[in-house]
Amino acid sequence: MTNKKKKWTRRAFIIAGGVVGGGLAVGVGGMMYVSKKIKEYTGEGFGDGSSLNAWIRIAPDNTIIMAVPRAEMGQGVYTSMPMLIAEELEVEMNSIKVIAPQPESPYANPFIVVNKPRDIYNGLSMMEKIASFMPIVATGGSTTIRDSYDNLRAAGASAREMLIQAAATQWGVDRSECYAQSGYVINKSNSHKLSYGELATAASQIELSEIPKLKDQKDFKILGKPVQRLDIPEKVTGEAEYGLDARVENMLYAAIRHATYHDGQIQSVANQSEIEAMPGVEKIVLLPNGVGAAVIANNTWRAKNAALALEFEETGDNTLSSEQIAKIQEDVIANNIIATPQNDGNATEVLDASDNVIEGKYNVPYLAHACMEPINCTVLINGDKAEVWIGHQGSSLVREGINAVTGIVLENIHVNMKYLGGGFGRRAELDMILHAAAVAKEIEGTPVQLVYTREESMRHEMYRPAVASHFRAKVNENGIEAWENKMALQSVGYSSMMRIKPTFAEPPEKDPSSSEGAAHLPYQMDNVKVAFGQMELPVLVGNWRSVGSSQNAFFTECFMDECAISVGQDPYLFRKKMLKNHPRFEAVLDKVAEISNWSKPLPKGKFRGIALHKSFGSIVGQVAEITKIDEKSFSVDKFYNVIDCGRIVNPDTIEAQMQSGIIFGLSAALYGEITFSEGEVEQFNFPQYEMVRMNVAPTVVNHIMEIDEYPGGVGEPATPPAAPALANALFAATGERIRSLPFKKHGYSFA
Amino acid sequence: MELIINGKSHQIDVESSMPLLWVLRDELDMTGTKYGCGVASCGTCTVMLDGVATKTCTLPVSAVEGKEIKTIEGVATEGQLSEVQKAWIEHQVPQCGYCQSGMIVAAEALLDANPAPTDEDINGAINNICRCGTYQRIRAAIHTAAKWRAEKTNLAG
Ligand code: FES
Ligand code: FES
Repeated sequence: MTNKKKKWTRRAFIIAGGVVGGGLAVGVGGMMYVSKKIKEYTGEGFGDGSSLNAWIRIAPDNTIIMAVPRAEMGQGVYTSMPMLIAEELEVEMNSIKVIAPQPESPYANPFIVVNKPRDIYNGLSMMEKIASFMPIVATGGSTTIRDSYDNLRAAGASAREMLIQAAATQWGVDRSECYAQSGYVINKSNSHKLSYGELATAASQIELSEIPKLKDQKDFKILGKPVQRLDIPEKVTGEAEYGLDARVENMLYAAIRHATYHDGQIQSVANQSEIEAMPGVEKIVLLPNGVGAAVIANNTWRAKNAALALEFEETGDNTLSSEQIAKIQEDVIANNIIATPQNDGNATEVLDASDNVIEGKYNVPYLAHACMEPINCTVLINGDKAEVWIGHQGSSLVREGINAVTGIVLENIHVNMKYLGGGFGRRAELDMILHAAAVAKEIEGTPVQLVYTREESMRHEMYRPAVASHFRAKVNENGIEAWENKMALQSVGYSSMMRIKPTFAEPPEKDPSSSEGAAHLPYQMDNVKVAFGQMELPVLVGNWRSVGSSQNAFFTECFMDECAISVGQDPYLFRKKMLKNHPRFEAVLDKVAEISNWSKPLPKGKFRGIALHKSFGSIVGQVAEITKIDEKSFSVDKFYNVIDCGRIVNPDTIEAQMQSGIIFGLSAALYGEITFSEGEVEQFNFPQYEMVRMNVAPTVVNHIMEIDEYPGGVGEPATPPAAPALANALFAATGERIRSLPFKKHGYSFA
Repeated sequence: MELIINGKSHQIDVESSMPLLWVLRDELDMTGTKYGCGVASCGTCTVMLDGVATKTCTLPVSAVEGKEIKTIEGVATEGQLSEVQKAWIEHQVPQCGYCQSGMIVAAEALLDANPAPTDEDINGAINNICRCGTYQRIRAAIHTAAKWRAEKTNLAG
């Protein structure tokens, strides 16, 4: 927790006030919460009322309008962010109305850049200022709570203080005579009260000299308790609007067809007149750089039929295959290591000198995000103005994408942020915005909804990379003497930053995501070497729920099991022994062993496996429990899940995210693979890229540790351990060590 | 062509082969029914057709003329949420929510046909994909909705 607290001097205050409007004020620490003069937001879309700061406007009818600048993609931010504000503001959750603001400075997410929480009292670091000034308004990396935890509580507390002071002034009493409760300020002496709605206008004129003291955890009324999500009522009636549900007057629909090959280009459409004569077709648009074409029509179905019928004159590599990629992986590991993110002791020397070394060669395939809502973006271009309807993880990226294609200045691009039908990293990309803008530019004045069919969404995207990971270890009964891990991969950080923000792109060897969850494991080991090499391939790779950890947990936690078993030890106790220096990890591991009754034998025919992994600031331990139906057919009965995510915001959301993360990890482990043959992706749609469904889904038994530390993320951390927990259970059942995913490839089936 | 959707008549003029999904979404702007795969695999496009849960993305509109179509927009009646919808809120089922129209419609159809489904019955009947993995809560919500429906019938009876 941040305890430092700095009293604002009058001088600092005036300086802060003096730079209003110049964009620099964001750097002046707490000023953004306490000064009404910091006007770096337009308040567009907030509706009637008085703004107390960038996040809070109070309507005359006492509705509390809260700006939520993060994308609601199922992880519950339209509830958790208001909870943080409401706790300090002293309002009821049911009085809150959430709006999505324009991507403006106060709403930036500097955590995503610097990977640590901001210091609300002492101002932003240089990098945080840059992130705020640009601004980077984005949702990803399980950062929402980690970025907002102090920030939004400060916003709520400051607004509450302004309301109290306004009431005190009105009553002519000392501020200490008043307190706030449930949307009212109350006068202690006579119990008179004034509603926030009545006070808002006067309160909005008040300047505070410092951020009020934030509550102690023991005084929380909302945080840490299960709260019903604000977005759920409209998600059960069909009223919730996703990007694909945008319906604007006179709009048309367009369907994209990408160039067939991943490094390919189209030169022209061979059957243009035929396509133009199809029912409802308005126009064919060739996209910039030969990436593909889109057909505009008056109905999605007509547009997609026409796009499917396009015949391209095109070029590209029609030889790429998954076999070829596997060969490149071997070669990179043997000959082309570019980075060694961890090198403690003399792992290689110890292993080379030993004749008692165990080895494991692991690999995972490319994976598609397969968001339930196919990729789409709706754009209207009108002279020097544009309007966009989209569900996207980066509202600032939406503006930047439109600007890049049209030159329209950012302030003139209005973003209507819709619900996301899944994001998982896919909706942090720019492609759908660039393509939709290119299409809309060809038909100015008419809004166009560009859709990628499921097939286009699946076959042309930015995949979780295919990765090979080779291990060697020397193990004895006390633990692991030496551990060496070499990987061949494509850098997600480099690939995605080159598309999104090339100036921020670091070379592949500097990408921390490649080795996240592989380097600096919590286990006590003296000799450790973790290294990787980069594969140069035309396939685009991107952030996929839990990123590097999505593969590295599978590799490390399966090989950890191999190490335990090589010395005949229990996989839980073997891990525990090496966690002495990491009590939080050990506590999670112990807890999951306890709730799964690890020490008690299972009934005949049932088996279990364990895994432990930290990602995005949170530690998750899982035990998978399975039943053998016959030879290679299993049911996945239960997942015991324990998370230490520090302080708890909404326990019900955490539980939901644990269930969600596990199913996401299992879909990949059981079925998920994107493969290439003759330059093309072999999977088209769900029948070839299967998902866990109701009949296969396990029951998740969840436990949340109560730890008074700064919060960790919860959207991603349950995904990484799912595959290794299950693989370790399958090993227990069959004696077969599965070192590559998905399991279905090895003849396993699940019911 | 005349379609009866949620008890209301709609006149439409489209190719007879256009799937019902796109008639609903693009011709009638009823966007509660979702496009997920277009190949009758994921179930996001599910509506009730004469009371039976039916995927609409491959269903030509000509095949539904004269039939009773109920979409997610017609599940709540006169502003009153159905027992299934209430149970969905009680169990806080939706995450991204994109699959939930199809899930709720499928659950309504299941409970109409089988007022007290077992876990096995649910496995058999609910084959839709939820990429957010809300299955555990869907299962619990179906059991709760079954209970609430039964209580309501008992009260009424
Ligand atoms: S859209 Fe109809 S089943 Fe997927
Ligand atoms: S709630 Fe997101 S797909 Fe089901």
